[in-house]
Amino acid sequence: MKDAASMMPEPETFGIVMVPHNQAQQILDLSGQVNQVVIKLAPGTDEKKAAEQVKVLLEPYGNLADYPRKQQLSDAILHMELEQLSAMAVFLPTIFLGIAALIQFVMLGRMVRAQRLQIGVMKALGYSNPSILLHYTGYALVAAVAGALLGSVLGVIFANLFSSVYAVFFNLPQAIGGINFKAIFYGFSLSVIVGTIAGLTASRGVISVNPAESMNPAPPKSSGRIFLERWSWLWHRFGISWKMSLRTINRNRFRSAVTLIGVVLAVAMLVVALFTRDIVDYMINRCYFEEQRYDYMLRFTTPVKETELFNITRLDGVIKAEPVFEIPVRIHFMELVREDLVLGLPPGVSLKKLYSPAGKIQDIPGEGLLISETTAKKLHAKPGDKVTVETLLGLGPSHLSEIKIAGVNRQLVGGCSAISLASANRLLQESSLISGAMLKTDTGQAALLEKKLNEMTGIASISSRQKELDSFNKKLGYMVYSITIMISFAVVLGFAIVYNSSIMSFTERKRELASLRVVGFTTGEVSGLLLKENLAQLALGIILGLPCGRFLAHAYINAVNTDLYTFQAVIYPVTYVLSALGGIIFIMIAYGLAVKGVKRLDLVEVLKTRD
Amino acid sequence: MSPKATQKNRPPVSQINEQGAGGLAKDILMTLDRVTKTYIMGEVTVEALKETSLDIYAGEIVVILGPSGSGKSTLLNIMGGMDQPTGGEVYFGRENLSQAGDARLTAYRRDSVGFVFQFYNLIPDLTAGENVELAANLVENPLSTALVLKDVGMETRMDHFPSQLSGGEQQRVSIARAVVKNPRLLLCDEPTGSLDYKTGRLILGLLAAINKERGSTVVIVTHNAPIGAMADRVVRMSSGAVVEIMENRDPLPPEKVEW
Ligand SMILES: Nc1ncnc2c1ncn2[C@@H]1O[C@H](COP(=O)(O)OP(=O)(O)O)[C@@H](O)[C@H]1O
Ligand SMILES: [Mg+2]
Repeated sequence: MKDAASMMPEPETFGIVMVPHNQAQQILDLSGQVNQVVIKLAPGTDEKKAAEQVKVLLEPYGNLADYPRKQQLSDAILHMELEQLSAMAVFLPTIFLGIAALIQFVMLGRMVRAQRLQIGVMKALGYSNPSILLHYTGYALVAAVAGALLGSVLGVIFANLFSSVYAVFFNLPQAIGGINFKAIFYGFSLSVIVGTIAGLTASRGVISVNPAESMNPAPPKSSGRIFLERWSWLWHRFGISWKMSLRTINRNRFRSAVTLIGVVLAVAMLVVALFTRDIVDYMINRCYFEEQRYDYMLRFTTPVKETELFNITRLDGVIKAEPVFEIPVRIHFMELVREDLVLGLPPGVSLKKLYSPAGKIQDIPGEGLLISETTAKKLHAKPGDKVTVETLLGLGPSHLSEIKIAGVNRQLVGGCSAISLASANRLLQESSLISGAMLKTDTGQAALLEKKLNEMTGIASISSRQKELDSFNKKLGYMVYSITIMISFAVVLGFAIVYNSSIMSFTERKRELASLRVVGFTTGEVSGLLLKENLAQLALGIILGLPCGRFLAHAYINAVNTDLYTFQAVIYPVTYVLSALGGIIFIMIAYGLAVKGVKRLDLVEVLKTRD
Repeated sequence: MSPKATQKNRPPVSQINEQGAGGLAKDILMTLDRVTKTYIMGEVTVEALKETSLDIYAGEIVVILGPSGSGKSTLLNIMGGMDQPTGGEVYFGRENLSQAGDARLTAYRRDSVGFVFQFYNLIPDLTAGENVELAANLVENPLSTALVLKDVGMETRMDHFPSQLSGGEQQRVSIARAVVKNPRLLLCDEPTGSLDYKTGRLILGLLAAINKERGSTVVIVTHNAPIGAMADRVVRMSSGAVVEIMENRDPLPPEKVEW
């Protein structure tokens, strides 16, 4: 990671080469010299005290800055990623195990109800309640063990896949794959425990089966009025088939709730998965087109006179060049300190725009500091406060000056404080110096211009927006990968639940549906009835799922926002539309299954069998 | 046998007229001609119906008797358009049902047939009244739901759900649901099969009244031989074949039937 302004590591343009230090000293002709000291503290050491002592020790050698590990860019990024991972490691299994428990619970409950007669016969033959309970819980256990087996195999495969992606992304020296037996053990135990609990609670209905009664046909499922019926003016507007559908949903409250949870979760996960795309799109737009309006940023090897800018402006292909003066600083306020970068910009600058936290473009103040939002927050400083700025430029001594905060700026990536070019010079007790230039160029002549710039002496680095965008888009592949995985989870999850509950509700209602067919309902009309139920669930699922997704997205953003990145929780309307569409597709597939079942319904067969 | 008032108002269903036992012209409503039904179960074929022929006359009460497994339900289901025969022809009026597709059979069930089952098969999520209304909504000229419920003595329990009704009450609602469409043919499979003696008789009384007042043709399947006493004709079945058709010159009112 080069600096806070780059969103991702760029191995093409920036890397660290490790060589023995004496060799480096030789190459650079600086024998016996070092410019950085890395310190590892013994456990239990007071970090602040140690840092103070080291500072005093190194003061004579021109100690510029010291960073605890936490503030190191790579460490911060690695931490962020690890934190996200550990959050996921709790979040996903909880959801999945919860869903698995729900599905097992609903399915076993249904099985016990359907096998009332068998249970009655078993009891009549002398089987005890516990032994029958165990029998049904056994189903859940078999499913749990089989699931854990399959899950372990898939888990090992996925884990290795992920580790290899991480190994590449973080440039880890060794692959971190292999088989984690502890995880497999946990997986097995959890799934068996969850299965047993679900199994026992679901099959507790066994106890209430009376052997003599179980031989009679089941009484009609007891239904009742629903809360909507209290408003009779409203209830009367519903046709009979709507009344039926609504009461059915109400009667099967638990199962309907499970279906609803499935749809809500799927829709919400889709919102979260899709919205990451929105953020990136938004951030690219904000960073590369709204904040940064230059095509190239040049940095000189040493600050130069502003008049030097003419040498660049006159190059072919340069439409406009504007100066910048970047000064690494330490900002003090009350007892607090924070390292930052001050960016000196000319008044009326057009190639770099700064925005207020509210999103308004801010002019560069003639006097005073346009402090970065993250720094302001860290220092608990606000506009009007006077802060002390300590320059940390490599050349010359550091200078201290007092500056009033004129305003706050928010940049989504990196972020720095801004100041007028003249004030920047004043910080260093200099005048009309600049450290770099921003160029707006003619795209047609870009290649030639780049070549010329590269040949110029005195230019330390050239960053090109196009190159940054390209590399960014390449890195996006990694993100698309994780989004795809999220979406697949959402799909699997939503489908598993919706599929299960629709199959179940269909088998449970075969008899009812067949009797409708006998009365003279066409297959289309019977399907229409089912559709109404599905539509009611769908509407609720989407109504609850979208805000749920929004909530999760915001929670996610709050969790991943760091000093380096300020993600805006932007969700484009199309994300909502697509997520809702996802929900619709799930429900329609479930509906399609039911319709297929209705068409195949053998009236004679269904009505002959007693429930 | 007394001539039935409503029967006269009905146009003849079929051109074929037969001289009945009482000398009255009887219109044939339905004809089953050498109908067979075989089920293939693995290596075994079950002949549920063996070349069964039977005419059903408009406006009569037919009781089909026979031991369990003799093919009564199979026959009734074919008559009701719930099932297709393996061989033979089924005519309703002039329409050949054995050639009809699913859509046509659905329309036939909707417009011309009312079913009453042993296990009622009411929709649990609809009240008694709504169950009847649901069927009424299917046809163009249904009878009034309230009236039909009154006929079966359920007018005060319209707002009850099936789970709040006794077996006999559920069966009465199920009869109302079958009758409200004003079907030509009322098919009942063991309608008293799960009811006690008293309630069973009450249900049979309702069926007879519907036959009398609305002129619907009623076919009752039962293994309970004494019920045959209320029928105009009794069809005896055994091992998938009709073994005897008996005309009943003096059908007993159901209240007098005993078993
Ligand atoms: N779907 C089926 N598959 C196989 N055999 C069947 C099927 N339906 C009915 N049967 C057989 O056909 C015969 C007649 O059955 P059914 O008409 O239900 O008799 P009933 O109503 O007189 O008791 C029985 O032997 C029964 O086992
Ligand atoms: Mg039968």
